Amino acid sequence: MRWMEESDDSIRRAILSGDKEAYKVLMARYTQIVFRVAYRITGNESDAEEAVQEVFLRGYQSLATFQGRSSMATWFYRIAANCALEVVGKRRPEAQSRIAEENDPERSEIQLADIQAGPERLLLSREIEATQQAAMSELTPTERTAFVLRHMEDRTTEEIAAALNIAPNAAKQAVFRAVQKLRRQLAPLWVNT
Amino acid sequence: MKHLEEAELVEHYYEESANMGECERHLKACPMCARQYAELCRVLDGVAKPTPPARREDYVEQVWQSIGASLPVYEKPKSSWMRFYRPLGWAAACVLLVAVAFVAGRRWERKQTSSVAVAVDPQARQRVLIVVLGDHLDRSEQLLVQLNHANGNDVSALPLRSEARELLASNRLVRQSAMQDGDLNVEASLDHLERLLMELANEPDKLTEADLNRLRHEMNTDGLLFDIRVLRSWVHSPGPEQQSARQATKGVPI
Repeated sequence: MRWMEESDDSIRRAILSGDKEAYKVLMARYTQIVFRVAYRITGNESDAEEAVQEVFLRGYQSLATFQGRSSMATWFYRIAANCALEVVGKRRPEAQSRIAEENDPERSEIQLADIQAGPERLLLSREIEATQQAAMSELTPTERTAFVLRHMEDRTTEEIAAALNIAPNAAKQAVFRAVQKLRRQLAPLWVNT
Repeated sequence: MKHLEEAELVEHYYEESANMGECERHLKACPMCARQYAELCRVLDGVAKPTPPARREDYVEQVWQSIGASLPVYEKPKSSWMRFYRPLGWAAACVLLVAVAFVAGRRWERKQTSSVAVAVDPQARQRVLIVVLGDHLDRSEQLLVQLNHANGNDVSALPLRSEARELLASNRLVRQSAMQDGDLNVEASLDHLERLLMELANEPDKLTEADLNRLRHEMNTDGLLFDIRVLRSWVHSPGPEQQSARQATKGVPI
């Protein structure tokens, strides 16, 4: 594709000049990041895919308002966090509890189990994983998103605040509340090991 | 010793604490906080960072297929010379508009001024009023003379009533005009005349000698005739002297 070597900004200008197809290049560049963030926040593949579509739709619609104060990667990152947050917010309570079910096919994608480990260790690992999923589903969408961005994406408090459009102190509090809840749920597991 | 709070431990874990060194020292010195921190680390270290499933190679194309149709094509921006000249065009249009408004305003003003000048010129108005007033006073004097000299036999042959009705209408207009001009003498005489004309206009067809005498007496027709004659003489010779005399006697009953 002829735009592959071009900078984000020249691609953006091309899109705004009427070259709609050039947007595919931006999508190709940022799909991995967007999908990863969406997946970690939503906790499942189908919700993440829904969020990815929404991210690129919104991204295209607001491309004219992008002012280049942050990188395009950060810009897409923020949209991804917001869209994933909305998807989590829309999710029904029964869908949330489904994540933690034993036979959830998506669970196999996010296991921590060591393949070389024995059956007992594997079983324990699965139990821990299931409890973690359940604990995560107990968090509010904002707490969950803030925690994912802090713990899994290594974002600073300021970056989390900017992504969620909240004050830095509110972002810090959201992370703290998430940690508190997770600690309450998960601490017993570690006491027994 | 002040123990670290849970929020401080979390901040320390994520290396966002404002005083990392102090926290570190406290954790080394305080076994209770160190135990709590170790527990927190164990829990948070154990929280998995899920690795997203790999995407198919055509995933981007797949997303494009699902959203591409709903994305509008952005309009190509106008060329740079258009962007440069557009403000100038607007400025020129504004200047032209102001110029047209100015010329139109001047013309309209000139037209208005001439018509207004005719309408409000007090001297012209005064001249018209004097002509009308002079004619009205002539006719009123004739009527009063006829009224004063009529007797019971020939009074029915005189057209007093019809003449009084005609004069009544014109007298009202002239009196109102005099009132607007602030000419109190003229207005007072015309008001007197109007009362007489009204009486005459409403009298029965056949006036008797007694009716005439009553009118002459009640309405003081002799005095009224004198006033009318004075006014008439003044109106028919409005020289500078009369004008100044008129100014001097303004407000004084005749």
